[in-house]
Amino acid sequence: MPPFGGSQSIGFSQFQQKHDSNIVSIDVGGQLFQTTRQTLTSAGPKTFFSRIAESSPLYTPFIDRDPDIFSLLLSLLRTGNLPSKAKNFDLQDLIIESQFYGIEALLINSLSNPSQLEPFNLQKSLLLPLNGRDSPSTFSTTPYGSLHVAHGSKITSFDWSLRRKSTVLTHFTAVDSLLAISPEVAAAGANDFSGLQILDLEKGHVRETLNWENVTKSGSTVQAIGSSPEQMFVSFESCRRNSNSILVYDLQSLLPVAEIGHNEIFGADIDSAIPATKLQWVEGYNLLMASGSHSGPSGVSGNIRLWDVRSGNVVWEVSEKVDCFADVAVCDGLNLIFKVGVNSGEAFYVDLRNLSNGENNDSNNWVCLGDKRKVVNGKKEGIGCKIETQGSQVFCTKGGDVELWSEVLMGKGNRRVEQRILKKNLMGRVRDMGAAKVTNLAFGGSRMFLTRKDQESVEVWQSTCREI
Amino acid sequence: MDEESTSHATSESERIKLNVGGKLFETTLSTIRSGGPDSLLFALSNRPSNDPNPVFIDRDPEIFSVLLSLLRTNHLPSTARRFSKQELADEALFYGIDSHLRSATAPPPFSGIDAAVVSFIRPASEGLPSTISAADNGAVWIAHGGQISSYDHNLIHAGTIRTHLDEIDSICRVWPEIAAVGSKSEAGLHFYNFSGSRHVGSVNWSDPSDPRIFKARVNASTASESSVFASFDCTHKENCILEVDKEKLQIVSQIARQSGNQAKNMVPRKLTWIPATGVLVGSAAAGGAFGYSGYVRLWDRRSGEVVWEANEPGSGRSSRFGDSFADVDVDVEELLLFKLCSKSGDLAMADMRFLKDDPWIYLKEKNPSLVNYSGEGNSYVLHCYKGQVFAARDGGLEVWSRVQEGESCGVLRESDAEGFYRRNFVDKREDSQRGIIKKIEGGGDRLFVTREEVEGIEVWESSHSAGAIPVL
Repeated sequence: MPPFGGSQSIGFSQFQQKHDSNIVSIDVGGQLFQTTRQTLTSAGPKTFFSRIAESSPLYTPFIDRDPDIFSLLLSLLRTGNLPSKAKNFDLQDLIIESQFYGIEALLINSLSNPSQLEPFNLQKSLLLPLNGRDSPSTFSTTPYGSLHVAHGSKITSFDWSLRRKSTVLTHFTAVDSLLAISPEVAAAGANDFSGLQILDLEKGHVRETLNWENVTKSGSTVQAIGSSPEQMFVSFESCRRNSNSILVYDLQSLLPVAEIGHNEIFGADIDSAIPATKLQWVEGYNLLMASGSHSGPSGVSGNIRLWDVRSGNVVWEVSEKVDCFADVAVCDGLNLIFKVGVNSGEAFYVDLRNLSNGENNDSNNWVCLGDKRKVVNGKKEGIGCKIETQGSQVFCTKGGDVELWSEVLMGKGNRRVEQRILKKNLMGRVRDMGAAKVTNLAFGGSRMFLTRKDQESVEVWQSTCREI
Repeated sequence: MDEESTSHATSESERIKLNVGGKLFETTLSTIRSGGPDSLLFALSNRPSNDPNPVFIDRDPEIFSVLLSLLRTNHLPSTARRFSKQELADEALFYGIDSHLRSATAPPPFSGIDAAVVSFIRPASEGLPSTISAADNGAVWIAHGGQISSYDHNLIHAGTIRTHLDEIDSICRVWPEIAAVGSKSEAGLHFYNFSGSRHVGSVNWSDPSDPRIFKARVNASTASESSVFASFDCTHKENCILEVDKEKLQIVSQIARQSGNQAKNMVPRKLTWIPATGVLVGSAAAGGAFGYSGYVRLWDRRSGEVVWEANEPGSGRSSRFGDSFADVDVDVEELLLFKLCSKSGDLAMADMRFLKDDPWIYLKEKNPSLVNYSGEGNSYVLHCYKGQVFAARDGGLEVWSRVQEGESCGVLRESDAEGFYRRNFVDKREDSQRGIIKKIEGGGDRLFVTREEVEGIEVWESSHSAGAIPVL
């Protein structure tokens, strides 16, 4: 936006009746503000401001609102950021005022933009308490940082500013999988209760229940939910645990689009009996990552599949028997798939671009980041470890600590094909170490959220300069 | 609202009206042009003087009024406190007067006898700093874990890069954006660029004629106008200093190769470049069961020859046999060499222009409050900054500063020179209890201090504000 107007035109003086066509005056609560047309139209079409910008320059519109907050929002329009004196105001007031002017999206964009996540600068800064005595079982975030937390049979949702919350009651005794479809709508499912419910968290009612039925027409429980910008993926397992499937729904209409990976179990084919317990959409490759594992007397085994949703084919598949994953995540930015070994507790990666497809793809593909010898560990050091990716960063939890894996970009002269350099950084201060075990980890807006075992709250990690 | 107070005689043509976001400002052309010819305000002032209409700028008027006062008086008004440093810096950058703002917000000249901790900088993760590097404008780089965090002249976090090293033990500014880092656990000197946060080059010490020279690690580094000097040593202690070209990031020459089999030829742990004389000062001191031993050595950069050296414990020439130094530092401006004695705790000075067999002048203790203070400690750090010598003994920080005298003194005569410096504590007793001081760095009228097992670094500044505490 051009910051100053009218050097070529006649200029403006409030005492003269001559008006610069580019300069707009607004009277807010008795205080006169002047700005340019470009600044006002940057609020977007069909907003309060764009209407003022289109109005006649001879007429000074009067707005009966607080001028102090208006000056902050005008700065937001001009620079894209709130001035620091906004800290003297309650964020809630700013939100209400920005809603009045129709520029809440700009406010969200400046305070809770996912592109502003600074992985190296995150520190523990807020605790969101949850009422009652249930510790959170799972939670889900929207891209701009709204948060839905399931604790017991309740779902508490926080708005993007983390200032307001509301709680609804569900039919489930405990919610095991949750997906935030929008700040107001979530999809919830449980391992012990049939059906996927689409919940309206504002009104607190079930909008729709989605079910999958196999030939025996028994009910089905939800094992995992994932989503792409257009679609929602749900992993169902029949109540008798003899079949499982991944269903693809249209996110708008919630109508089933396709069914991929339908397994009926006959005999002792244990591999097909494992339903997917994690679904992650890989945007850059248009693939769906589905992983599931099973703990038996001979140890943990599992499988990771990459699905082409459109054709319904498996593009790549790996069965894990030795040091099976405790958690898997695909990192788009680095073109890598990461896992934490359940026995070793170490992180591993495999390059997405040269996946060797075939029968011999055993665990040899994985490149270990850490002590390789622990792969044949009798202990289960990695149990409960979580791994999540954000941009080109990988976050891995180990007990109560969060590790950040980042790639070191080596410059010129390093063209030969070799192992990529990924380095581990322990997040947080010394006093944060050794806290209770991390049970869930997710990102929303420029923040990281995590929950810990037996703690009835959600921890919020943010950069000091972007605190809200 | 903003009346030009200098004189009413200022003619109409020398004044300018500005309309900033709906508020009218009037000032003189000379004020608005004091931002420099490259500033936006200067550009706006170049308009026909007969135009009665103000220039319209679509920005926040309140910050503009602060910046206008800055241009008028060269001081930030108290109303500036309502804005964050970042915001003022952004807005000043917009108007093109950021250098003005920088000089107005910079702390006063650093004086060790009147300094206090103003802030702590704590990186968000892996907060134990391994080493730091301060720039002349007061910016600082902190190496922690394998990361380097950069803080700008306002001490605002500017960025963090992760290096491939697990522990960074030496860091040096090659260019404002490029750091040279070395580690005692991994080989080579590595260059990282903050913009783009990537590795841009590496230098390793190798010798085709000597297969034992491999995996050499960097112990210390320093930069001159055109080169970076880094001291390397191998696992069998053979060591040398490599000169690396700053532009090409390639080795230019090798100087000071030493076998490393004795304390007096171990790898230099501290390097200082003296631009005035073209001499590189290297020193090493190691504490053992029988006390400290080490050396100071001056190399001529061109010839690579040793110009002068002092080994301690020496052969008995020293008047203080058995009181070898624990740390050495150079006052680059004054061309003075300082050493801190490990046993007595005394500070000794040597004029680099008149170095001889025993050039040390032991400074006399004159501060009565320090007479009973035992200088004994286990850890010593010496750092020269702005003509002052900062000495840390365990957790305590003291400063030796020169008394300003009327007459100028050309040559330092021992009898006079002993009394030139006065010793004072910089810190309070409670400051010294935070932990053992590991490193001191001065830059931009700030002193940065790191302590053992303490997260983050301390920032010390002098201030003209009295800081009166109200007592009710």
